[in-house]
Amino acid sequence: MRHLDDEALSALARREPEAVKYFREHLATACEACEGFLATHSGPDVLDGQVDAVLLALAPPRTDAPLDEVGFARVRRELRKPHLDTRRWGLIAGAVAAGLLAIIVVPRLRQGGSGVELGPASQESGVKGQVGRIALELAVVAKGSDGALRRLDPDTLVDSDDVLLLRYHATEAGTALLFQRRADEEPQLLGTFELEAGTHDLRGPQGLSGVSLEGESGPLTLWLAASPAGLEPSPDEVKRVLVGEGERWEQGTLAVTRFDVRVRSGQNPR
Amino acid sequence: MGSTEGLAEWVRRAASGETSAFSELYRRTRPLVARLMAGFAPLDSDEVEDVIQETFVRAFRALPRLKEAGAFEAWLLSIARNRARTRLERKASLRRLEDDISDPEPETVPALPEALQLERDIEVVRQLISELPDGEEKRTVQLFYIEGELSAREIAEQLGVGKSAVTMRLERFRGRIKRELLRRVLAGRWE
Repeated sequence: MRHLDDEALSALARREPEAVKYFREHLATACEACEGFLATHSGPDVLDGQVDAVLLALAPPRTDAPLDEVGFARVRRELRKPHLDTRRWGLIAGAVAAGLLAIIVVPRLRQGGSGVELGPASQESGVKGQVGRIALELAVVAKGSDGALRRLDPDTLVDSDDVLLLRYHATEAGTALLFQRRADEEPQLLGTFELEAGTHDLRGPQGLSGVSLEGESGPLTLWLAASPAGLEPSPDEVKRVLVGEGERWEQGTLAVTRFDVRVRSGQNPR
Repeated sequence: MGSTEGLAEWVRRAASGETSAFSELYRRTRPLVARLMAGFAPLDSDEVEDVIQETFVRAFRALPRLKEAGAFEAWLLSIARNRARTRLERKASLRRLEDDISDPEPETVPALPEALQLERDIEVVRQLISELPDGEEKRTVQLFYIEGELSAREIAEQLGVGKSAVTMRLERFRGRIKRELLRRVLAGRWE
């Protein structure tokens, strides 16, 4: 008795009549050997995907999920990298990247004499700087007084009773300093955080960290400045970099993302 | 399944270079890929994110060559499963770094059965689940596929068994379903 193997699967993929006829009959009853083979081998064609689509459709339908912006930003970044595939794809990937600028929370980044790699947007605009060892991306969500969450674009108007929640993607583990600046004041250190590689909410030792806007009004800037563990600059050094006064960062280890909002006071109508 | 045609339209738009179509495809299908990954208990959350990313990068790169827009979802899930398996086999040192499970070529992906057929397949699978003897496998399948909330890791915790035991149960059941669907394909869909 023949059971499925690589050769048989290839024959089925080629629709060889003899193989089709034999396995149509053979698979009409349970066969542990064939089921075991099918469970651990791909194909033919996209049968695996069909099987998974059917199985996943058994669960109750889920509500429409919002775009996972950080995840899509990772995909977009990978697509920007050179690839052996066609020239056509390069154009499409570029289009994806350009289009995403409209919806993704891409931190607005600044560069100056510091030579610090300030994040992905500086690459998009063609600015060359020293490349930090951590690539950092930031998404910001506002939690309203009613508990509702809403994704923010840069320069969004927020209310003073909102709390800003930060979600980052870091390519390496490290340490991050979170700063805020009101209007033309000096950057103010809000806290120090341990970053994990991957996509995570910004958390301190007490749990999820939010930036309260209580008592704030007008423009507010948040910076998250990250460096690999063991290479942490002092807060004062980072602060100088943020305001464009820092010296050239010889190691090129600091990655900075910036996010701006405008806060309206609670007295104003929404 | 009712959204299959809607998805196909986004696939066509993405393939023609429409920028927003890629983010819409990602938004619509990422939850499905993530749910598929939830069945691979040995993968930790960072590995799952990596596999999801790799899946979409591969799919989006090859999308312009996909002949059958209606087959996008099955093709994407096939890629995702291959990526997860490759990752697991490398992790277990069963597969060399440069060695890779090859994904279905987009040019050769055939047209898939219509939604009505898929609905029938779903009914067949429900029937097969109901016929399973009461026990740990049936409970695992119900928790993962029917209730669809818990990951394989969470199910392992709830049932008090090892992670790999849950994955093995799901894989065994899936092998049975794959045999049944393959039989149905051989019985008519290719003829």
